[in-house]
Amino acid sequence: MTEEYSLRIPAKLEGMDLILAFVSLLLDNHGCAAKVRTKLRMAVEELYVNVTLYAYPSGDGWVEIRGNVENGMATFRLIDGGKPFDPLEKPDPDTLLSGEDREIGGLGIFMVKSMVDELEYEYSGGCNRLTLKKQISEQ
Amino acid sequence: MKLTHEKNGTELTVHLSGEMNTLTAPELSALLEKELDGVQNLTLDFTECDYVSSAGLRVLLATYKQMKAAKGNMELANVGEDFMDVLQNTGLDAVFGIF
Repeated sequence: MTEEYSLRIPAKLEGMDLILAFVSLLLDNHGCAAKVRTKLRMAVEELYVNVTLYAYPSGDGWVEIRGNVENGMATFRLIDGGKPFDPLEKPDPDTLLSGEDREIGGLGIFMVKSMVDELEYEYSGGCNRLTLKKQISEQ
Repeated sequence: MKLTHEKNGTELTVHLSGEMNTLTAPELSALLEKELDGVQNLTLDFTECDYVSSAGLRVLLATYKQMKAAKGNMELANVGEDFMDVLQNTGLDAVFGIF
């Protein structure tokens, strides 16, 4: 098992840059292809923004990101102590509708699903836990 | 994200540089809110921007609807590979004019 790194910050939108820097640094240290890095950054951005918007409706809270790369597989976990919320339950938007009919929202999680190899949600120990995995070498 | 723009009568071109993410997408909204009045042809130039998250897509979709309602056009120019992936994954490649 390679080492897992982590960063815990207040669950505020402004913290997104720090979270994305964490993702980039870890991936760069493992020679991740730029294209794959972009997809992982976007996936983490979408999930992080969700936490800042929905996890703590009544006040301040924390969010932690953990990451490691093992055998070419990057794993990132986003953990928060907010109310149970499974973003993966949301139905996918209808991507075949015309522009006028397309809804403005609902694209984020759909994008995440298309950008990673594995995506899992779990609520345990009083925390929301989202895990995403992606192979970091170009296929 | 850095934004520069040129306005020529009813034509507006905006050049984006950097990442259009949740934190920076509002900058484009703000610029368009100020400049879009009376514009019939809007071109968004992505030569130097290949990272567009869903927050950016929302701004693009809202702007597209606004332009359509005003019988105008919106085009995305110089779309890079990563941004094109996002557009294809979300089906928005069939909605926006891309060249």
